[in-house]
Amino acid sequence: MSTQTRTNPASVLAECPGYFPVSGAHLYTVLHRVENPIARVLLVGPFASERHTSYRTWVQWARHLTAKGFEVLRYDYRGVGESTGTFEEMTFEAWTDDVHCLAAWLRKRERNVPVILHGLELGGLLAARAFHEGEADALILWSTPTDANKVLRSGLQQWIGPLQLLKPEDERKLPSHYFRLLEEGKSVEVAGYEWSAELWRQSLSFALPAPMTPPNDPAESYKRPVRVVPLGKNAAPLVKGAVPGYEENKDFSWLFDPNSHWIASSLSVPVGGA
Amino acid sequence: MISNLETRELITLGGGGVLLHGTYHKATVEAPNGAAGSTKNIGVMFLNALSTPRSLIGESGVYWATSFAARGYPAFRFDLPGLGDSYGEIPNDLLKFTNEGGWATIASSKVKELVQSRGLSGVVMFGHCAGATTAIYAASECTECRGLILMDPYFNLPRSITPSLRPGLVLWARRSRTGALLRASYDRVRELRGALRKETLPANANLNLISRVKQVVSSGLPILIFRTPQPPVLGGTKLRAADFDYLAYVTSLAVRSNQFTIKAIEDTDHSFSNRAGRMAVRQHSEAWLGENF
Repeated sequence: MSTQTRTNPASVLAECPGYFPVSGAHLYTVLHRVENPIARVLLVGPFASERHTSYRTWVQWARHLTAKGFEVLRYDYRGVGESTGTFEEMTFEAWTDDVHCLAAWLRKRERNVPVILHGLELGGLLAARAFHEGEADALILWSTPTDANKVLRSGLQQWIGPLQLLKPEDERKLPSHYFRLLEEGKSVEVAGYEWSAELWRQSLSFALPAPMTPPNDPAESYKRPVRVVPLGKNAAPLVKGAVPGYEENKDFSWLFDPNSHWIASSLSVPVGGA
Repeated sequence: MISNLETRELITLGGGGVLLHGTYHKATVEAPNGAAGSTKNIGVMFLNALSTPRSLIGESGVYWATSFAARGYPAFRFDLPGLGDSYGEIPNDLLKFTNEGGWATIASSKVKELVQSRGLSGVVMFGHCAGATTAIYAASECTECRGLILMDPYFNLPRSITPSLRPGLVLWARRSRTGALLRASYDRVRELRGALRKETLPANANLNLISRVKQVVSSGLPILIFRTPQPPVLGGTKLRAADFDYLAYVTSLAVRSNQFTIKAIEDTDHSFSNRAGRMAVRQHSEAWLGENF
């Protein structure tokens, strides 16, 4: 049923996990190496609580890009996943700085090829901010909200639903109860992460740069290619709403193929692979 | 990029042409005088819970592995093929695959490889939910497994009663007072049926898994089980009492009096990833490891 006994393809053997030192932490990274890459892509994944559901599909996307000749670097936010750092001390600015550090590292690799930032959900906001500040040659945003507070709100709502079923009726709380606590300066534990009131406060103003919000044309504003892709529930588990155990193996060629093609065509690089 | 930090190292297990990526938490024990203390020769190996990457939900796996390593037990977290960073394909029905023991062969062979490559005397396998299922199957196939830590293990196969009812009817039954009465009556009937059948396994029992449990338990392996509070009857405040008590059944198989340690953790959810859950699992596991290894 599984391919556990199949030999690993050479491209998989070229995947290099490592720790990337940044100020006060080490970011967990996986570099999907490619010989003579046509471009390099930095993948900026979703918010902490979405990481575990989207992880496999995100890795599949990295492997899809590698097969097309792109070198890919993916990573965990500091304080999240395999990266070190304390989540409750994190800020959106620190996470944006990490995007700059990793993109700079990619740019300095031996072959001078274009660098693309690709963000999913909150990662889209981080990538967009770095792009706005001059980073990278192109930008792709998948399912990126207009501000970080929307990510936190929907994450909390998603988490609170099943949790309530464990509690007697008189102990159940609405999401608004937790929003109020955060607004009052208290921290709230969501899906195993301690959300600080400061993170909540920052999320209200951490938004997409104005040139990227409708009706503006970001590609025209930046004079660099930008692609914005809204994703619906059919994109689960890449986005919220998946049924664990049944949707991990979905076919995402409908999303992967046009997006890798867009990167290649917008940067005028010859795409490889099947 | 580096692969080695002071307390962690990124490692792979590549035997048999199957490459697993993982994280090794180095055992470090500080004696009261500040000197390095002795570390243990038993490792703790974490498995994926269904498709969750090796860090587990809310990075609770990282937290526990770090804690055990600080107590002298080297801890290893691996992604099985097709999960997390490890390459491989997975079946469309991952839950069914896991429940049928689909990971058993690879997990047990990787336990052997880990024990040999690291010079360990054995490992304690740590599994949450579907990961607990895999741990049981793997333990039944290798002698290198010296103990099990299981979090919210389940011994039944999923039943699809709800989808056969109209969604509107389900919603009505969940929200209305009459529906609550009907559900309570249904629970009483099930409770009565359960009392009558006593030790007979229900129709939805995962018999293959239970036969492996019997095999593992008969070898005398120490087993620590964590469980979360059962969900209350929807719309009410009483806990559901009608379900077959698989844990009581499984623990009745013990070959010695202290073989099973069961800990019910309050104030947490199924993931055990909040502060209360993490702390309780950590403390009870460390105490259990100290008593047994």
